[in-house]
Amino acid sequence: MATNPMHQFEVYRIGPEIKLGSIDISFTNSSLFMVISSIAILFIFNLGSKKNSLIPNKVQLLAELSYTFVSKMISDTAGSKAKPYFAFIFSLFTFVLFCNMFGMIPYSFTITSHIIVTFILASFIFCGVTVIGFMKHGLGYLKLFVPSGVPAVLLPLIIVIEIISYLSRPISLSVRLFANMMAGHTMMKVFGGFVISLGIVGGWLPLSFLVALTGLEILVAFLQAYVFAILTCIYLNDALNLHH
Amino acid sequence: MSKDQFKTRLEIAKSKISEKNLYNDKEPPSSIGTAFKLSTELVSAVAVGTIIGFILDKTFDTKPWLILIFFFVGVIAGIMNVVRSAKKMQK
Repeated sequence: MATNPMHQFEVYRIGPEIKLGSIDISFTNSSLFMVISSIAILFIFNLGSKKNSLIPNKVQLLAELSYTFVSKMISDTAGSKAKPYFAFIFSLFTFVLFCNMFGMIPYSFTITSHIIVTFILASFIFCGVTVIGFMKHGLGYLKLFVPSGVPAVLLPLIIVIEIISYLSRPISLSVRLFANMMAGHTMMKVFGGFVISLGIVGGWLPLSFLVALTGLEILVAFLQAYVFAILTCIYLNDALNLHH
Repeated sequence: MSKDQFKTRLEIAKSKISEKNLYNDKEPPSSIGTAFKLSTELVSAVAVGTIIGFILDKTFDTKPWLILIFFFVGVIAGIMNVVRSAKKMQK
């Protein structure tokens, strides 16, 4: 059982079974790690913004660096109009980042390695961006599906293609994060299994590979959180500044 | 350290950062991220097209024609997605 590389993704119940109608809303290890990462975010950023000293200590520096990082990312990709959505994108970025990073701790659970979690995040963004687009431009937002300079004969086909390409956004956003996290963690577990089964004689090669893989995984954990946030900014940019 | 001293040090540090940014403003994103972005975009559009075709087939009872058509439309949409984001990357 322990050598099964997929075993680490198992969701199990912690505490009593809670049912809401026919829906099971029991507290699981997945929810536990969501709570842990949210509390960690709240704790770190509270601590970092409590004392506004001129010469920052480490926690304040971390909080300020991440603030400027996200705010620069938003102004670079979506322009100044996207400033009101800073709070949302910042929380999204930190949440995904902390979930990915907590997943790197041995024996912990990676929430983002489950497609339903990432899909809910992505579809929430998708719905939000669509609502914002319709609120800002009214029915003119539908112009997004009609690229300029297309002959009228091709229009029905192009519109269908554009709609499919628009609908594919939440899927590509969620699959990207989920596949990266799941593939990386499975690979690490498989190489860990090699180390055990090859023993003290041949286990050194996969072990050294595992060390490199751990570094890569930490990079991927950060990068995917970044990509998730930056794509949200790009979609927001499409909704706010309509030009095709 | 007095406040003035700190201010001059801050100015020096700021100018250093802006110098760096002048030459190295846009770091290329890592290639593994780029590859993943393109591949998921291609696959997800095909998936969406197929799902739409499947649902329409069920409602209009026209198996298997709409799923076939929408599969290929999804492929086209996927390729368009990839071309579009590749163009965006080249900018």
